[in-house]
Amino acid sequence: GLRRCLISMDIHHIEEAFQEIKKTIQAKDTFQNVTILSTSETLHSIKPLDVCCMTKNLLAFYVDKVFKDHRELNPQILRKISSIANSFLYMQKALQQCQEQMQCHCRDEATNATRIIHDNYDQLEVRAAAIKSLGELDIFLAWIDKNNQGTSA
Amino acid sequence: DGVAVLPAPQNLSVQSTNMKHLLMWSPVIVPGEIIYYFVEYQGEYESLYMSHIWIPSSWCSPTECPECDITDDITATVPYKLRVRATLGSQTSAWSTLPHPFNRNSTTLTPPVMEVTKDGFHLVIKLEDLGPQFEFLVAYWRREPGAKEHVQVVRSRGIPVHLETMEPGAAYCVKVRTFVKVIGRHSPSSQAECVKVQGETLPL
Amino acid sequence: AVLCISGGLPKPTNITFLSINMRNILQWSPPEGLQGAEVTYTVQYFIYGQKKWLNKSECRNINRTCCDLSVETSDYEHQYYAKVRAIWETNCSKWAETGRFYPFLETQIGPPGIALTTDEKSISIVLMAPEKWKRNPEDSSLSMQQIYSNLKYNVSVYNTKSNRTWSQCVTNHTLVLGWLEPDTLYCVHVVSFVPGPPRLAQPSEKHCVRTLKDQTSALKV
Repeated sequence: GLRRCLISMDIHHIEEAFQEIKKTIQAKDTFQNVTILSTSETLHSIKPLDVCCMTKNLLAFYVDKVFKDHRELNPQILRKISSIANSFLYMQKALQQCQEQMQCHCRDEATNATRIIHDNYDQLEVRAAAIKSLGELDIFLAWIDKNNQGTSA
Repeated sequence: DGVAVLPAPQNLSVQSTNMKHLLMWSPVIVPGEIIYYFVEYQGEYESLYMSHIWIPSSWCSPTECPECDITDDITATVPYKLRVRATLGSQTSAWSTLPHPFNRNSTTLTPPVMEVTKDGFHLVIKLEDLGPQFEFLVAYWRREPGAKEHVQVVRSRGIPVHLETMEPGAAYCVKVRTFVKVIGRHSPSSQAECVKVQGETLPL
Repeated sequence: AVLCISGGLPKPTNITFLSINMRNILQWSPPEGLQGAEVTYTVQYFIYGQKKWLNKSECRNINRTCCDLSVETSDYEHQYYAKVRAIWETNCSKWAETGRFYPFLETQIGPPGIALTTDEKSISIVLMAPEKWKRNPEDSSLSMQQIYSNLKYNVSVYNTKSNRTWSQCVTNHTLVLGWLEPDTLYCVHVVSFVPGPPRLAQPSEKHCVRTLKDQTSALKV
């Protein structure tokens, strides 16, 4: 499953890159009463069977939307976001290559959860939505890490 | 406005060993003057999605040396474009770009340095600290015909790690190679090193 | 609610969560210049994505500079904020707020329990996984290993006679160090760790034990 696919991912390096900008990014997110990823119907409810599709959809969400919509002027933060974005790009390619040998099809559950995330994003002004999604990268990375070892809490 | 009168740096190349990446170029010489260089990079993401923006390197914006440690900038296994320009006061050279994008999966991996010791009957190994991306595949065996080779993955860096409890009078050999998960490659193996345990009668 | 002039006092400082094994304590320092004054504090907390700030009744108008929010933040997969303000006579400060607190990623993993038994040439080490904080002692225990299945232990062994140290990374809870030197003091300390983002670690105390004297040499005399 996903574990074999993402085995070459260095999630921990991405987590470290995010740790270095987390405080700054999350401090810019002033809508504490809104979350994009961690509503109960999204990441928390994903079944093991849907993990691969959800990972693929969320990588696309960040690569195609979040990183592009975010405007960053601070070079230090820009470098970390670039590091994460390029790592996600590599993960997308690895997942694509892996898909031939592995089922990564999308059931309704994953498709619905992805749509809710996009809807949550679209309800906010684009810059606020991008900064909030960036600030929730730790949620996505912890979810990948946990599903990468096939754990259940 | 600084017109490009300075010659652009030439002969850009990257020397990469054990995931440490050094961008080098020929220095721009103006007698009696100090030249400063600015290095920028562009990952594949910036090329594909961010209208080819360039990002100032972590350590060389500016630098006086004709080289730049870009290890902290090349942090994904995708192609990176790199460029350098020289400045002298308000004078600025044109950008010089690395002929081919650099991908860290081309790094040269060398056999790691190891120190094999024993503490009584305990076989202990100490491995050089190559950074968090390195795992060490440590193979060890008892030096006798037909002996089975054991392999242990060691991630501890720079501290002595217990490998095996040895039997009195036996000799044990060890060799090691590195594995870098993010590029999916191994280094060649090191030379084998052997230690012998002094003999002692086994307890009844 | 206490009626006071808001902003009349400087805010409390250094507000953070101290979290070990999911026991989540909010702590702060008194406002600048008010150390020693009869200042009281009131705490509120917020569940990220929910609608409003919630009161912590046991931490209203308190003198101490800490507040246990373990119950309120026990769902470790959610994220939280907390804030505190100072009150002195009729003045009160603005709220001082934490960053977003994510217990699953930020809690420190406490050291395991360690039991050592020895004979002449070996030491048996039994590790007891650290336990998640629980509200009542009689509640059923949840091991931190059940939350972090990739929890590992780094066991360091120091031979006081040879002045040598070596370590082993283990995932199971029993370890036998064989073929040791008789009548020698060995010291062991163990650190729990979870591979992943950098996380503060709580090392165990050092446990020292002496291997027994070699009985065979004693018989030869």
